[in-house]
Order: sequence, then C-alpha cells, then structure tokens
Amino acid sequence: MMLTLLLLIPLIAGILSFFLKGEGVKILALLSTLATLVLSGFVSYEILVAGLSGTNNTLDFSMPWIPQLGTEFSLHADGMSAMLCLLTGIVMPVIIIANWNKEVERPWSFYGLMLLSQAGITGVFLAYDALLFYAFWELALIPVYFLCSQWGGEKRIAVTFKFFVYTFVGSLMMLAALIYLSTLNPGANSYSWANITHAGASLAPETQSWVFWMIFIAFAIKLPIFPFHTWQPDTYEQSPTPVTIILSALMVKMGMFAVLRWLFPMVPQGVAFWSNTVIILSIIGIVYASFLAIVQTDLKRLIAYSSIAHMGLMCAAAFSNTQMGMHGLMVQMFNHGINITGMWLIVSMVENRYGTRDMTKLGGMATAAPQMAIALAIISFANIALPLTNGFIGEFMLFNGIFQSASAYNIVFMAVAGLGIILGAVYTLNMVQKTAFGNTTPMLISKDMTTNESLAMALIVVLVIFLGVYPKPLLELTQSVAQMMVP
Amino acid sequence: MNTLMLAVEQSTPINYLPVVLQLLVAIGFVIFMVGVTHLLGPKRKTADKLINFESGIPQVGNARQPMAIKYFLVAILFVLFDVEVIFFYPYAINFKELGTEGFMAVLMFVAFFLCGFIYIIKKGALEWEE
Amino acid sequence: MKAIIAATIIGVIMMFASILSNNKSGIVSLATVLFFFLFGINIWEVYESINATGVAAPAYLNNMMSLDSFAIWFSMLMSGCALLYILLLGKEIAKVGKHVGEYFALIAFIMVGIYLLAGYSNMLMLFIGIEILSIPQYILAGSDKRNLKSTEASLKYFLMGSFSTGILLMGIAMLYGATGSFDIINFRMLQTDALNPLALSGILFLIIGLGFKVSAAPMHMWTPDVYDGSPTPFTAFMSTIVKAGVFVAFLRLFHASFGNLTNHWMMIVAVITATTLFIGNITAVFQQSVKRMLAYSSIAQAGFMLFAILSVNATAWQGIVIYAVAYSVATIGMFAVLIKLKDYTYDGFNGLAKKEPALAFFTTIFLMSLAGIPLTGGFMAKYFVLLAAVQQGQVMWLVIFALIMAAVSVYYYFKVIIAMYFKTGEAELNHEVTGYDKLMLGITCLLVILIGLMPQLLLNL
Repeated sequence: MMLTLLLLIPLIAGILSFFLKGEGVKILALLSTLATLVLSGFVSYEILVAGLSGTNNTLDFSMPWIPQLGTEFSLHADGMSAMLCLLTGIVMPVIIIANWNKEVERPWSFYGLMLLSQAGITGVFLAYDALLFYAFWELALIPVYFLCSQWGGEKRIAVTFKFFVYTFVGSLMMLAALIYLSTLNPGANSYSWANITHAGASLAPETQSWVFWMIFIAFAIKLPIFPFHTWQPDTYEQSPTPVTIILSALMVKMGMFAVLRWLFPMVPQGVAFWSNTVIILSIIGIVYASFLAIVQTDLKRLIAYSSIAHMGLMCAAAFSNTQMGMHGLMVQMFNHGINITGMWLIVSMVENRYGTRDMTKLGGMATAAPQMAIALAIISFANIALPLTNGFIGEFMLFNGIFQSASAYNIVFMAVAGLGIILGAVYTLNMVQKTAFGNTTPMLISKDMTTNESLAMALIVVLVIFLGVYPKPLLELTQSVAQMMVP
Repeated sequence: MNTLMLAVEQSTPINYLPVVLQLLVAIGFVIFMVGVTHLLGPKRKTADKLINFESGIPQVGNARQPMAIKYFLVAILFVLFDVEVIFFYPYAINFKELGTEGFMAVLMFVAFFLCGFIYIIKKGALEWEE
Repeated sequence: MKAIIAATIIGVIMMFASILSNNKSGIVSLATVLFFFLFGINIWEVYESINATGVAAPAYLNNMMSLDSFAIWFSMLMSGCALLYILLLGKEIAKVGKHVGEYFALIAFIMVGIYLLAGYSNMLMLFIGIEILSIPQYILAGSDKRNLKSTEASLKYFLMGSFSTGILLMGIAMLYGATGSFDIINFRMLQTDALNPLALSGILFLIIGLGFKVSAAPMHMWTPDVYDGSPTPFTAFMSTIVKAGVFVAFLRLFHASFGNLTNHWMMIVAVITATTLFIGNITAVFQQSVKRMLAYSSIAQAGFMLFAILSVNATAWQGIVIYAVAYSVATIGMFAVLIKLKDYTYDGFNGLAKKEPALAFFTTIFLMSLAGIPLTGGFMAKYFVLLAAVQQGQVMWLVIFALIMAAVSVYYYFKVIIAMYFKTGEAELNHEVTGYDKLMLGITCLLVILIGLMPQLLLNL
C-alpha cells in the first residue's frame, strides 16, 4: 500500500497541477515531493530494519491488471528499489527548493510534468511485472521530452527529439524481447518477474545471447554506454537545469537499475557471454568521455561527459559479476545521484550569476561568492572520489569488484578504468580552478547563495560528507540485494 | 465429398506450364500482329487522316464539354428498374408453388421498389426542366 | 440479423428525411438518435448471444450468414465507433454539401456491409458485403461536387475499386472451381499436400483483392489520393471503421478457411506486410499535409493489422478487435481535430497549444495512441497483434522490422506535437471550439486511455 502511495502522490499532484494557476503550483509540488521524501524514507527505514533483524525485507503489492495478457499491477521494493526511491525523494524537493525563486513560464505545466516524470521514474524502480515496467519506462520519458522541448535551450527541439527517438527505439527492442519471453511461459502472470526471469534463464545460451542485446540496447542507451551515448551531452546541454538533474541523477539510474533488476536474472548466460564486450565498451567510454571532458569549455557539457565516464565505471563493475562490485555499484548509484545533483545546482547558480557557462569567461568565484565556491569544491572532491566524501566508498568498491572479477583481463580493465580516475581529477580540478580562482569576472547579479539555494545545497553537502564518513546505513540497506545477485 | 473437385496431383511448377504457354502464346500473338501490321501496313500521314473520324462530318469544337446529366440519370434509372422487373418473370412461373408466403415476399419487394420510386420522384430526378 | 435490418431501415429513413426536411441540424440530430438506436440494437444482440451460450451460432439466409458471438460483438463495437464518429463529426458532415440526409443514409448502408462482412460464411455474402461497403464510399468520396480533388478521388476510387472487386470475384470463382462450393467451411478440405493450382491462384487473387480494399502495399496506390481528396469527415470514416470491417472479413476467410494452408500464403502475406509497413511509414515522413500524412499512416497501420492475418491463432482475433477499435477511435478523434483547422499542413498546427490547450492535449493523446506509446489504446493494439505474430513463431524478423517502423512512425506523429507545443505561430481555426466539441473529444480521449489501461474490456472471447 505504501508503495502505491509512493506512486500515486506525484501522479495525482502532477495531474492537479495542470488545473492550478500561480504560486499554488509550487507549493503543491513542494508538499507532494516532501511527502514522497518522508514516505520513501520510511520505506527504506522499514526495509533496513527488517534486513538487520533477518526477517523478510521486501515490500510487495499486487492486484490484477490484464489477466488475458498475463500481466498484473505488482510492485516490489527491496533494498535497491527503496534506496533509489529515496534518491528520487531527496532529489525532487531539492530541485524545487533550489528553483523556488526562479520564474518559469507556465509553471503549472512545468511542475505538473516534473511530478509526472517523478511518478514514472518511481514506477520503474518499483515495478515487478515486466509489462508494467515497460509502461513506466516509456511514461517516465514522455514528460521529460515535453519539459526539455518547451523550456530548453536554443536547439532544444531537434536535440530532444533525437533523445526521444533513441530511447524509443531501444525500448521497442526491449518490448519485442519481453513479448518473446512471455510467450515461452503462457499463463495468468507470464510477465511477473519470477516467470519472465525463469523463462529467460531456461533459454538456450545462443538464444540468450541475442535476447541479451535486444534488452540491453534499451538500457545501454539510457545509461549511456559508449557507442549509444551521442544523445546525452547535447540533451544535457539543451535541457533546463532542473530537467538535466532529473535526467542525470534519476533517469540514468533507471538504466542501471534495470540492468540489475531485469537483465541479469533474465539472461544470465547471455550476460556471461557478453560481459567482457560490455566491460570493454564501458571502459572505452570512460577514457573517451574523460578526454572529451578535458577539452570542454562549457560547464554543462563537461559534467555531461564526466557523467558518461562515471556511468561507464559503474557499468563495468556491474558486468564484473562480483559481490563487491555489485554492492559498490548500488551505493555508487545513490552517491552519484547526490553528487551530480549538487554539480548541476552549482552550474545553474553560476549561469544565473554570470550569464554564461563558458569556463574561459568565468573566474574569481572564490572572492565574489565564497559560499558557492566552497560548495563547488566539496562537490568536486566527491566527484573525484576523495576519501571522506561519499564518492570514495562507492568507487573503491567498484574498482575492487572489477579487480576481483573472474575475467582474464581484470588487471587490464582495472588499470584502464583507473586512468579514468586520474583524468577525472584533471578535468574536475581544472574546472574548479577556472571558475573559482583566476581573473575575477564581473557578475551580472552579484549575490552569493540565497536562502533557498543554501538550503538545497546544504542538504546535498551534508549528505556528501555524512555518507562519506558513515556509509553504513546505505551499505546495509543494499547488502542483501547484492548477496542475492551474486551469491 | 466431391473428390473430383479436389485435385489429386501434387502442386508442382510443372502444373502451371499450360498457363505459362497460354500466356506466352497470347502475348506473342499480340506482339506479332501489332508488329506485322506496323511493318506491312502502308504509311501515309496527312492532316486529314490524323483528325478524329466523325462519320464524315467536319468536326466542330471540343467534345469535352459539360452537358446535362439528366439523360444519364434517366438511362441509369431505367436500367435499374428494368433489371428489377426481371425478377417478376421467375415469380410468375412459380406463382402457384410459392403460395401466400411467396406472394408476401413479392409484395415486400414491390414495396421496396415503390420506396425507391417515390424517392426518385421526390428528389426530382425525372424533371427535365430546372 | 436485427442490426442488419435496422441499419437498412435507418438508411431508408435517412433518405426520406432529406426529402421531408431541409433543416440540416434537424437531420443531424435524427441521424444521431438513429445511430444510438442502432447501437442499442447491437447491444441487445450481444446480450442475446451471451444468454445463448452453448447453442450453435444461428445461421441465416440459407447458411450464408453465421452470426457467431465474435461477429455480433465486433458489429457492436463498430456501431459504437460509428456512433462516436457521428457524435464527433455529425455537424461537419452536414457542411460538406446539401444532400445531408443521403450522407447519413450511405453511412448506414456501409454499416450493413460491415455487419455482413463480420458474419459471412459464404463467398457470395463476402462479395455482397464488400460491394455494399464500397459503392457508398465511391459516392461519399465525391460528395464535395464542386471540388476537383474530391471528384478525382471519387473517380479514382471507383475505377480502382471496381478493378479490385473484379479480381476478388475472379478469386472466388477459382475457389468455386476447385471446391465446387461457395461455403467457406468447405474450403477447409483443400488439402495442404495436394493443392489444386486453381485453388492456389484463387487464394492469391483473394489476397490481392482484399489487400486492395485494406490498402496494403503494393495495392495501396489509390489510398493517398482518395483519402486526401475526399471531404475530411468521410476520410475519417473510410480510413477507420470501413477498413477495420474489411480486415475482419480478411481474417475470417484466411483463418477459418485457409488456416491449414499457411505454408502456401504465409510468405506472400508476410512480404505484403513488410512492404506495407515500409512504404506507409517511410512515405508518411515526407508529407507536408497532415491529412495526407494520416492517409499514409493509415497504410502503415494496415501493415500492423496484417499481422493478425499472418498469425493463425486466437490472439490474432483478439488483436484485430482491439486494433480496430483503438485505431478507429484515435484516428476519428484526430480527424475531428484536423477538421477544425484552416490549414492542413504541419505549419497550420503551430502554436495550437497556446491557443487551445485542451484541443492540443487531446491531439497529443490521439497521436501517442497512433504511435503506440504505452497506456494508450494504440500500444495495446500493437502489442496484441505482435504478440499473435510472436506466438505464431515464424515471423520474428517481421516483428522486429515492424518495431523499427513503429519508431519511424514516431517521427511523423510527433512532428504534429512539436508544431503544436514547441513552435510559435497562430493556428487558425475554422470556427470556435465549443464546449460540446471539447466534451466529445474528452470522451474520445478517455476511451483511448481506457483501452490502453484495460484492453480486456473489448474482449468477450
């Protein structure tokens, strides 16, 4: 029931927003996101406590939907889903608080679409029925498409359309594979997680190897993995910052989550067969994106490429098939979401103050706006995974996982991926130096962080440091899932 | 069931050979005749020969002109009603055998018929001047 | 059978209504009431057939019609769609010309054809049904007499249509030659391993004839011109309900009669499907006018419906029902919006979202349904027919090809959305959008979403 509520609150609030005018929309959005934050916190807490006491630590809800198709409306939350719902619950109010003073055109539709996308994303994290999952997977995309195309930058229409078509093609391939798998196991609930994973896992290895790609392409595009990433920098650059946050902090996690929840159990032998290929692609992605990040001058593009590098590392660890890597991956999903939210918040503040995102034209923020500069420094340290920030624990475990993997090339993978860390430090610190220090550029609005911005930023910074020092709750929350995935 | 109708032999391409032959002969004949007349026929092209033949009367103007549709309408209606009247012949022959039920059926047929007729009259399809 | 009689009588009443009254809106109201009545009769028949479970399907007209529960159910759904069509576009139909009563009469006669096609069990009935359904369409296509394009559409449709009917008749004759019967049940005796060449060419001719009526490539050439040239309200009817009706006839014949001969015709239909999908979708991308785009999209959607023909199984029957309704409802809604606009090009939609947010929102839902986005009827429709094809198991390549084409279709459907929401401009409307229009479009929109959420409502099988 709580899971349904988690879905319904943003959905209903989102639909209601379209009928409201003026300030009321913002308040409604804030209230509903805070409600989901509390609710998701509660869900996570319950699962955490249940996990520690060794009882059944999942929440389930199901009701009949279309029995003729073998699909039902079933939701399921384990540690991983709960953690990602919590991430959604944290990120959404932070976005709204940080943009509280910003004027948006047609706020009712802007906030309405934001909330609808939240509902879709939550649905993806909770769905336990493949067709339901597919429906949410698409539904999360549509509000984001409208958000980017209406409030984005100059080239928004073409860029967003490219993004939409990319992801749509991917998900159609996934749909074909899902239909195929469901027909193998006809019955009242052939789409339920248990049945569809069973159907997939009992396929012949050759069949699994092509079913793998049909499903993985959908996720690889969302992630994005190296050859499928071309939509990402453009879209991040063109979309308005609140939407960029949703895209990079939440929707990207949808891809990673889907790999773990659906792909791995569904085609285990296909995964085993292709894991080296995927790891190689991921690692190419890390190095390639890192080098590109170094030469970027636009802050948004730089962060976009750094995000590709980070996701590449996560994906490589996921396919290393080790418990350590898996566990680290889950923790890192959460931490990356927090860090990149902080990063975008700062970029949006910089853009607001200086009127540009071009690094060559920026400088001297440390003297003009010391609070912003400090926040930037902290988030950047987390981004390059300095110890005592939350990025450290996740990346440490990821590297450990890749190193422990059974693959013959684990050392090579590890070494090349490690290059990513060094390059990450290069571009991140370069960015800090160019924006915070150097020649002082005059601000358009010379103001340090406003109250609402500090509030949002403080939440992020506190989480960065808290989880860096004391990551235990997060580790415990996801432990049982990691153990289940890789026994 | 009628085994004669269900073909017994295998359906192989060779079964279609007669069809293909027929096609070839037909096409060949056409090409042959057209070609031969083209080659053998006398060719005298004068302006008089290239105009349309109008029963010997010199042609006046273009035939593609709008004209009153009344004539076609009446012609089509005539065909329609004429064909429907044909149904009376078989009924006339079986008049006794079909009995009251048949009579009722024909009465209904005539009623429909009448509906159509009234419709045509009311719509003014038979009025020449308008 | 009651519905067939009722629809005929409604047609006659509408004919006479035009004589007795010149009041256009009165005639529209009369038609609305009569179509409500027709829908009611259909529901009554469905109710009867549900109560008569276990009893063999009643046969009519010397066993030439067999109105089984599927036929009655499908007729009911199509009457519902026709009612929706009249409610949405009735006023627009009245604006086409001065013979308003006749337009509705012709629509009622087309409904008779659809009922015949849903429940025929004899090739003669198939032929009569196809003719009853086609001839009124030729007239409707040319009903805007002063418009050259409309006349062209009518003539083109008539010539091509008669030609294809000839081919269909030829096919029927050949099958008669092979089996000595017109009854579709008797065709089952055509044995797979010893197939008469006559029967085989008969099947081929039938595929061509019926493929023409459903505008499957390469027999689609008439479609864009006819759909583009006909008055918009009639295009909405021809491209949706009529097409769905012919598809059911196609399905019934090929599943009931030739279901055991799939190895002879499966490949042909598969190639036709692939061609239809390809030509429909790719050509639609290059259109400038939304109306013409919808004509090509109707070809593309026919490609998806052909999947139901390909897959000889129970899911295909469910699929065709859901596809017919979901596609009809969304397309009728789309045409109802289109007709309100002055300019039928994409640019004509520019900035509609600012001017008429409700209208733009409804259009978005209709387009998403046509593109097959989840939780709309179109998704479930595509899902069912593709599921049927996957269950059939021989055409996985075609399923993947269809999905790629579905992605292409997103391009041209979303171009309208982009124009409405993201481009600036003044979309000019023909006249004010009244509250009634919004209400009806809202109901249509709800139907689209309802089918997407609960497609099982459309299945009684």
